[in-house]
Formats: sequence, structure tokens, C-alpha cells
Amino acid sequence: MAALLEVKGLTTQFFTQDGVVHAVNGISYHLNEGETIAIVGESGSGKSVGVMSLLRLIPQPPGKIVAGEVWFQGRDLMQISDDEIRQIRGKHIAMIFQDPMTSLNPVLTIGFQLMEPLQLHLGMDKNQARKRAIELLEMVGIPGAATRLDAYPHQFSGGMRQRVMIAMGLACNPQVLIADEPTTALDVTIQAQIVELVKSLKEQIGMAIIWITHDLGVVAGLAERVLVMYAGQIVEEAEVHELYSDPHHPYTIGLLRSVPRLDMGKSKRLIPIEGLPPDLIDYPKGCPFAPRCEYRTEKCEQEDPPIEQISPTRRVACWHWETVVADIREKGGVYA
Amino acid sequence: MLQFVIRRIIWTIPVLFLVTFFTFALVRAIPGGPFDFAGDKSLPPTVVKNLEAKYHLNDPLWQQFCSYLIGDAVCRPGKQNGVASKGVLLGDLGPSFRYRGRTVNDIIATALPISAQLGFMAVMLGMLIGIPAGIIAALKHNTPIDYTATFIAVLGVSISNVVLGPFLIWIFALKLGWFPVATWAAEPLFSNIAEKYIAAGEQVPMWVNLIPKPTKEFFMHAVLPVVTLGTALSASLARLTRGSLLQVIREDYIRTARAKGLRERAVIVTHALKNSLIPVVTILGPMFAGVLTGTFVVEQIFAIPGLGRHFVTSVGNRDYPVVLGTTLVYAVAIVIANMLVDITYAWLDPRVRLE
Ligand SMILES: Nc1ncnc2c1ncn2[C@@H]1O[C@H](COP(=O)(O)OP(=O)(O)OP(=O)(O)O)[C@@H](O)[C@H]1O
Ligand code: SF4
Ligand SMILES: [Mg+2]
Repeated sequence: MAALLEVKGLTTQFFTQDGVVHAVNGISYHLNEGETIAIVGESGSGKSVGVMSLLRLIPQPPGKIVAGEVWFQGRDLMQISDDEIRQIRGKHIAMIFQDPMTSLNPVLTIGFQLMEPLQLHLGMDKNQARKRAIELLEMVGIPGAATRLDAYPHQFSGGMRQRVMIAMGLACNPQVLIADEPTTALDVTIQAQIVELVKSLKEQIGMAIIWITHDLGVVAGLAERVLVMYAGQIVEEAEVHELYSDPHHPYTIGLLRSVPRLDMGKSKRLIPIEGLPPDLIDYPKGCPFAPRCEYRTEKCEQEDPPIEQISPTRRVACWHWETVVADIREKGGVYA
Repeated sequence: MLQFVIRRIIWTIPVLFLVTFFTFALVRAIPGGPFDFAGDKSLPPTVVKNLEAKYHLNDPLWQQFCSYLIGDAVCRPGKQNGVASKGVLLGDLGPSFRYRGRTVNDIIATALPISAQLGFMAVMLGMLIGIPAGIIAALKHNTPIDYTATFIAVLGVSISNVVLGPFLIWIFALKLGWFPVATWAAEPLFSNIAEKYIAAGEQVPMWVNLIPKPTKEFFMHAVLPVVTLGTALSASLARLTRGSLLQVIREDYIRTARAKGLRERAVIVTHALKNSLIPVVTILGPMFAGVLTGTFVVEQIFAIPGLGRHFVTSVGNRDYPVVLGTTLVYAVAIVIANMLVDITYAWLDPRVRLE
């Protein structure tokens, strides 16, 4: 079966006064129908720019998608006209964002904003859209939905606003929902509620999800497959359980060590990854992780490792992944 | 909403009182008196004495202030010789010291409508040109259109009325002869009402003077001063609108609107404009108040008998009641303008509405 979404060599740069920011550097991946994948990585690793490029939503200028293809329903989204991509946005591929406090328009009612995509893409009239908007709010668990349509965003809490964003994203039953760190700005308990909500909605609607987070903890219960991004590249791809139990890339290992896990004893301390990600304007010649990597060699500093398919479900971009894997196994795991 | 308005009105009472009090105190602190000169000559001391007595200038200051506020009947019982005043609270702003025989009420009723007509047209022109220009510049951000608009706006803000006014007169009135050189030519629209008052020897009420008859004469005279005054206004409105819209366009909710698949026009019109006009409205209030109550420079250049000239010359003349009266008009205008701004604000921004 062909993938629902197929991304090939996507490259996005920002042409700023200080120089060219290499935000996304030739990433390739696919998303199957009804599947959930997660994209993880530190702040600034290009997760948001990567997915916004899919819908050509990056600010242009200064941004520019300089290369790549994004195949969806037999068309390359990078090549179709502006009108055609607008037909895709919100209807077939919807997006929700990190900060629900700023992602809703403060001067328009919740109802108006919710009805907009319904009227635009499904050709509903005001009454139909209103009815459907109430259903949507009920679906995302907002109490008293009918009376809340005329409320403004500032009358909602952060968690409620994110529910509204989700309702808006799912309004037209999209095939793909892109969630860009939808829980980062929320309290821990609310985070869990939102994750549960998305999971149950997925069972009802069956859309595929790209879930972005820098928190590996959230990923486990949600996604089937994980892409790890570093400095605008995908450095590792694996099924969730594989990634946790047997990470191959030194950066993934660092990431796992730096997040708390429920099954981790209290005695284990979190170890943040030392050093900083590379300057995306003055992009390094070799492996971008080399300055922070305990396994680096001469070769790493000279040549950037390409991403390599090492099993049907796994890819990794590291010259020495076999050494790394052997070393971790010998030590008895990531946390040893 | 009504409660909000009432609360605002109540608040203005202490504000206006303080404005009156400080103006009263400050104007008395100016060295010299109102009767030092008549034209170029100085008056004989006996005449000055008589005049000062007539206007009660030798009474204690607190008594003068009291009469100014609530009238001679209360504050100067039994001493009602000279010129009696009913007090500001009853709408009597007193006599002018300089223009003998005219009251401050007369002066304002004649001059304020002229300034208001000029100012209103200038602000309208400023809005009609400035806001759309700012929007276009923002939408064409960093293109030649934006650069041109921004350049003109900077020019418009920095060029002084003192330069622009005479320049326009020189080209369009003297060289080309398209427009009259100076003066104002407003006739009341309700001329029959005005004539009735004039026939009775009474002051024509302000509202009658305020509404001009839309004659060609009126507009021809208005073009140059309105353009002079409106240029700077439209330039600053354009800059503000552009900056504000550019900021709004970067907001997250604009990205959300685009992600829904809305057309760029819908994104701008429904999602960006209303938000971006909020700061513009804030500046419109003081702008209106400042310009409606008279602008000294433009009125001087075009020999327009508006309130701005009285405002400035009365200080030099130490014409205390005129200074106080014009200041009060200005204060009231500011208060009203700001109230209208707050109401517009509440209409634009639901977060304000509910407080
Ligand atoms: N408008 C822009 N102009 C210039 N550079 C930009 C712009 N938007 C993003 N970038 C740069 O692109 C790089 C990738 O940013 P991106 O927002 O994709 O990171 P991210 O992985 O989503 O991080 P976070 O976890 O903080 O959301 C960053 O270095 C950022 O500075
Ligand atoms: S290529 Fe070298 S530097 Fe890069 S992650 Fe692998 S071992 Fe480390
Ligand atoms: Mg991001």
C-alpha cells in the first residue's frame, strides 16, 4: 500500500540578514493511513518548520522551501498552485499549534472561528455550520457547548482552548492531523487529558497523526513510530518500543537519558546532553552532533553521515551506530 | 456599557475641576496683567485701576476663583457692582478682557465651529488616506510600494506645517490660482435660524455655526488648510497602521487562519484588520481632540479665525478668562474623545468589554 503522505528531501531555509538559516536539511519520511508518528528533538531542531513546510505555511520571505517533494493523494504539494494548497489546508491536512493562548483570534468568537472551515470547505450555511460546531465542541468534551459558541477565547482556560483548536482541526474530518507540541504549554494533568482526547478521537475518526514534541515521555503511549530530529535532519527512525529499548543514535541515547521515566528508580538522575546544537547559519561540515558525541572520530568531523535503512523499520544517520549499539548493550542499557 | 459611560462621566468632574484650578493658578503666575497695553501704548494708571476694579481683579484670589466657578451671587454677595458672572457651572465663561464687550462664550461660539470644521475634515482626510496606505504598505511589506509609502509617510510626518502651508499657498494659490490664498468661508447651513439670532442682536448658537453650507466657496477655501493639516495626520496614521498590521500578521492566530485554508484576503480582512486597528483607535482620540479645538500654526498661516489663535494670543494678552475658557474647551474635548475611544475599544476588543 502506498503511503498517505510521502516526504522526500524536504529542505527549508530562512534568508535572514545574518545569513542563511539551514532549518530543515533534506528530510524524508512517510506517513501511512491512520498511523501516528511522533517527531522528537530539542528546541530549534526544525520540527515546526519541517511540518509547516508540508502545507507551505512558513513565512515567505524570509523562509523558502528550497528543495523537496511532498506527495499526497497523487500530487506534489510543493508544486500545486496556491489555490490548490488552500483546498488541502484544514480540509485534508489540519494543524494545531503549541500555544492555545495565542493561536485563537482574540476578537472573534469561538463559534465564528469554528464555523469558518465548515463554511469554507464543506459549503455549509450558517445554520448547518452552527449545529456542526456544537457537535464538535461536544466531541472534544467542552461542557455546555451550545452556550459557549458566542464566547471569546479569553473566557476559556488553556486546556479548553486547546480542545477548541482540536475541534477546529478535526472539523472537516481530515486524513492527517499535524499536532505541533499541542501540550507543551499546558499543565501536566491537562496534558494527559489532551493526549487521551486525541487518542480517543483518533479511534472515532481514524485520521493519521504527526505529533511533534520534545518530550519523549509523551510519545510512548501515543505513537507507533518515532522520528528523531537534530539540527534539521532526521537522525534516527524506529518503532516506539525499539527506540526505547534499543536506541542506535548517540543523540537518541542522550535524549532518553535526559527525560524522566515512570519506570525509572528514584536513584537514577537525569543527565542532560552536554553542549549546544550547532549554529544553523554556519552549518558544520561533518556530523552535526559530533561536538557533543562521545563516539565521534576523525571521520565524523569530516563527513556528514547519510541516513541509512538498517532494517525494514529502522533508519539511522551515524557512522558508528554498530559500535554505539554494542557499547550500550555491553553496559546493560541506556541508563546503566 | 451604560454603567461604564456613566462612571467615565463622573470621573471627568474632578479632572475638569483640577484643570480649571491649575490653569487659573498658572495664568495668574504669568508676569504682567491684562491691561498693561492697549495696542502699543500703555494705559494711564487710573484707567488700569478702574478696569481692574470692574473685573474684580483686586479681590482675594480664592474669591475670584470661587466666582469664576459658581458665580458672583454666591461668592461676592452684596458686591455685585462691576461685571457680574454666573459662573462656569452655569455655562458662563465670563467676559474677555481684551475684546471689550465680547464674552468668552461668544468668542468660543464663533471660533470653535471654524476650528472644528477644519479639524474634522483634516482628520477625515488623514484617516481616508493614512489607514488604507498603511494597510497597503504592510501587505506589500518590503516591496517598492512599501518603501515608497513609507518614504512619503516619513516625509509627511517630518515636514512642518509652517513649511507645507506656505508652500501649498505658493504653488496652488499664487502660481496656479486654483484655490484662494487664505481665510475661511463657512456659512451656517441653517442660515434662516442664524439670521433670526442676528436680527435679535444675539449670539448665534454654536451648533448653528458648526454645520456649514456645502458651497463651492466653502470647499475651495478649505482645500489648502485641510491638506496642510491632514498631511501630517495621514502620515502618522499610515505609519501606525502599517506597524500594527505587520505585527498582527506575525501572530499565531494568523497562522491558524492560514492553516484553515482561508484565502489571503479573508485572513487579512477578518482576522488581522480588527486587531491591528486597536492601537490606531487609541491615537485617534487625542488626534481628534487636538485638531478639532484649533491648530495655531495652520490657522495663523491661512488667516482662519479659529480657536487655536485665541488660545495662543490670549496667553500673551493675559486675557485670563479666554485662556481659561479655551483650556476648558480643550480639556472637555480630550475627555469626550477619550471616552469615545474607550467605547470603540470595547467594541473592537472583547477582552475590554467584560471588565
Ligand atoms: N521566521 C524565521 N526566520 C528565521 N529563522 C527561523 C524562522 N522560523 C524558524 N527559524 C529557525 O529555524 C530553526 C528551526 O526552528 P523550529 O521552529 O522548526 O524549531 P522546533 O524544533 O520546532 O523548536 P521548538 O521545540 O522550540 O518548537 C530555528 O533555528 C529557528 O531559529
Ligand atoms: S556520526 Fe560520529 S559524531 Fe555523529 S553521531 Fe555518529 S558517532 Fe557521533
Ligand atoms: Mg516548534
